[in-house]
Amino acid sequence: MIKLEHIFKWYNVGGTRSFVLKDINLQIERGDFISIMGPSGSGKSTLLNVIGLLDEPNEGHYYFMDEDVLALKPKKRTTLFQSHMGYVFQSYHLIDELTVYENIETPLIYKNLSAKERKAIVGDMLDRFGIVGKKDLFPAQLSGGQQQIVGIARALAASPKLLLADEPTGNLNSKQGEEIMALFKQLNEEGMTIIQVTHSEKNAEYGKRIINLLDGQVK
Amino acid sequence: MFTLLNIIGLSFGLAGFIFITTYVFDELSYDKFHTQADRIVRLNTHIHIGESKMDMALTSDGIGPILKNEYTEVEDFTRLYTSAGAKLIRKAGKWINETHVAHADSSFFRIFSYQVLHGHLDQALTEPNSVVLSRSAAERYFDSTDVVGKTLETNDAGNTVYQITAVIEDMPRNGHFNYDFLFAMENAPYWNWGELLSHNFTTYILLRNATDRSLLETHLEAYVHKHGLPAAKRYMDVTDIESFRKDGNVFHYDAIPITDIHLRSNLRGELRPNSSFQYVYIFSAISLFILLIACVNFINLSTARSANRAKEVGVQKILGASRSSVAGQFLAESLLLALGGIILAIVLVALSVPLFNELSGKEFKINDIINFRSLPLFALLLLFVGLVAGYYPAVYLSAFNPLQVLKSHTVISSGKSVFRSGLVVFQFTISIVLIVGTFIVTAQLRYIQHKKLGYERENILVINDYHALGNQTKAFRDEILNLPNVKTGTISGFLPVSNSSRSDNPYSKETVMTPNNTVQLQTWHIDEQYIPTLNLELVSGRNFAVARRADSAAVILNETAVKHFGLGEDPIGQQIHFQFGDGMESFHVIGVIKDFNFESLRDPVTPLGFFLGHSPSQAAFKIETTDLPLLLSRIENKWNKLAPGFAFDYRFMDEAFDSMYKSERRMSRLSLTFAAMATGIACLGLFGLAAFMAEQRSKEIGIRKVLGSSVTGIVAMLCKDFVKLVFIAIIIAVPIAWWAMNKWLEDFTYRIDTSWWIFILTGIIAVIIALFTVSTQAIRAARANPVDSLRNE
Repeated sequence: MIKLEHIFKWYNVGGTRSFVLKDINLQIERGDFISIMGPSGSGKSTLLNVIGLLDEPNEGHYYFMDEDVLALKPKKRTTLFQSHMGYVFQSYHLIDELTVYENIETPLIYKNLSAKERKAIVGDMLDRFGIVGKKDLFPAQLSGGQQQIVGIARALAASPKLLLADEPTGNLNSKQGEEIMALFKQLNEEGMTIIQVTHSEKNAEYGKRIINLLDGQVK
Repeated sequence: MFTLLNIIGLSFGLAGFIFITTYVFDELSYDKFHTQADRIVRLNTHIHIGESKMDMALTSDGIGPILKNEYTEVEDFTRLYTSAGAKLIRKAGKWINETHVAHADSSFFRIFSYQVLHGHLDQALTEPNSVVLSRSAAERYFDSTDVVGKTLETNDAGNTVYQITAVIEDMPRNGHFNYDFLFAMENAPYWNWGELLSHNFTTYILLRNATDRSLLETHLEAYVHKHGLPAAKRYMDVTDIESFRKDGNVFHYDAIPITDIHLRSNLRGELRPNSSFQYVYIFSAISLFILLIACVNFINLSTARSANRAKEVGVQKILGASRSSVAGQFLAESLLLALGGIILAIVLVALSVPLFNELSGKEFKINDIINFRSLPLFALLLLFVGLVAGYYPAVYLSAFNPLQVLKSHTVISSGKSVFRSGLVVFQFTISIVLIVGTFIVTAQLRYIQHKKLGYERENILVINDYHALGNQTKAFRDEILNLPNVKTGTISGFLPVSNSSRSDNPYSKETVMTPNNTVQLQTWHIDEQYIPTLNLELVSGRNFAVARRADSAAVILNETAVKHFGLGEDPIGQQIHFQFGDGMESFHVIGVIKDFNFESLRDPVTPLGFFLGHSPSQAAFKIETTDLPLLLSRIENKWNKLAPGFAFDYRFMDEAFDSMYKSERRMSRLSLTFAAMATGIACLGLFGLAAFMAEQRSKEIGIRKVLGSSVTGIVAMLCKDFVKLVFIAIIIAVPIAWWAMNKWLEDFTYRIDTSWWIFILTGIIAVIIALFTVSTQAIRAARANPVDSLRNE
């Protein structure tokens, strides 16, 4: 599903290159559950962003479902992103002014689905994650764990093939974190490909494969 | 860059405020420099007979002396006589046309306060043939002000020589009259002394107490019964005032305080065109609005930077700063910025004084505006702007919760604030009203300039001071008519533009005058070439013919006059009558001309009668030439031969026509300037607010992009909010503008309709301007990499 070849990413700091990613080669199959680990500044998030098409490497090739992503036009890349990827963040990044319902609906609007289709899908999601009763609440009225569940529901609403999660439990207490991880595991068992970035050994264990990064290189 | 925008916006707003405030204060200061200003009133005359209405700032010569004799409350009176118009005064062999001249009673300087440079004012005008000069007149004629005892020769009857008895400092600009030469009243070229129904004098009364004014009004009513009625009985079939008034007629005098004249009086015979309170209100409002817009900007731009400074506040607070000390710091900063704004504003003001004078028609000098007396004003402005504009940012920024701002790098608060949105709506409402105003004023001016007036004003050369030719007026006309490019020419001072002669007299349909058969008729003396030269249209009858001797007792009426006299379908051959003293003159109607607008389009067409006569103060020639300078120099040559020593003074009728609408053009330029200014400042504010919103919503924008929104989607989302505000502003502004502009248009008898397209066009312009301003910020925000705004720390 994903193939990374010789990915480099660097910043120019005072004339010298400071590498964030250094010659990353990686192959990820459909149905995989990958945990990316490593200390702060090791390039975990950058790698996730490169995979999630939010960031571009300076060098290297990236094939997503056999398509040379970096050669695509921005518009095509947006379509690819919209139709195949869902993103979950450490600080949830829900839109404060929108209700739970509207937050989940947002990506569907950008996919140009009709109001009727959107209603069906959002209803489905609310049902599936047991948050029907909270659909008219605003993010500030929810606990962290509940907010993250909304975040996941939103990421899945557009029915992606790949779920990217950047420290999804980083802001949660251990009990909430476990619930989220259980949810991930269940999603993976249902066929979802998942890549998560995490600090926690325990959470990393939920994955089928662990990739350790240090100073931008796979260890 | 924000700081710069902030100071620039503020300084422009302040400069506008300073200018308009100066203007308003100047308007309000008129005639207050007289030490007895609170006790001086001017008398007005109101006589309405049937359709004709005379509301005049003039009185008879007799009313002043009578009031002083009969009523103790009247301490003194003084009169000005200006009906003779300009005078020619000889300077080194050349005659100069002086327009700022008047004849005044010797009591003039007992009532009005002017600063004397040489001579004694209390004796200055007591003797016949004496004249008082202003400083600048003395300097113009003698290069010195110490000229008491010297003489001036004028073109008054028999070339009167006047002796200079005093020189005064130039009359202050802010008086409702301003003369360079005051001649003794005894020399006034007036022939009807003592006639109480002939109104040619401006009369001022000095009351014993300022509170006597209402008493004076009752005395004026008594005067009508005691003196006015007997005078009227000689002309008219009236028995008593009550029955005269019962038919809706008016015969009445009143008094206006001298300090009210400039802003509240707009009668016939004003000594010079006055302003109006309406404009003072409008400009006060505009100046306040501009100041508010500038402050609003300051607030918007200051809060816009808040996101960047949130962290600074957080760190300060964690290091132990109290909220008040943080707020104090922001207030101090805002005061400092305001100081910068004021200094820049003062520089702007100093640089643009000439521009402002041209716009406003005033003659301010820099030190009229910026001087020690205005320092408190500037200090007050500094405090006001600094504190008012700084208050909100200070309170807003100092309230940040340090933990929250330090944890996430954007401020946790809603991007939409009713307060800030309200400010933007307010700014745009004002801008839209001003833009609509500009459109309508401009459209009305265009309408006036292109309206068919019923006479020809293109290619008409008007020669002023034509009477300087003495008995050569006809010879000169014939010589000019012999020139190849001159078509026709007429000698008449009665032209349908301003600065021409006017005269009206009551004419009656029957031989005995009654209130019901009398029409106040403009009485114009013209020659037989007048109608063809101005291309007036005769609807029936014929023009004057020199060969017919009987035409000296003939009259040509305009359609309005025919209607007012009630002459019916066939007016030709009917008669109208004029009473004078104990005699009566009759005229038979030989022609009717189509109505034409001989006054400003503010006023309706009034009854007008043409009489064959000689009125040589001006002449008009229709010319058709491609080489105008050549033709003019030829005419001037002939002029110099026949009128040596008199300056050749000419104007073109279309220019003279345009000058009738000076105040409208000024209004149009002023509103254009202020509309541009207000809109410009409002856009600065909008720009700041857009930047602010973009900062505040950067997280949301990032999320939306990650969720799949395109750049266009984000830009549209950001712009939509602002366009919504502009729409609200449009909805508020349109009725206000509609009401205000209809009010303004009411002054015109002939006017455009306030058409809907003006409002739609203004709306579109406002939306485009807003979009243009906001979209740069929106695009920048939308194109930012979402990773940057979403990065977790």
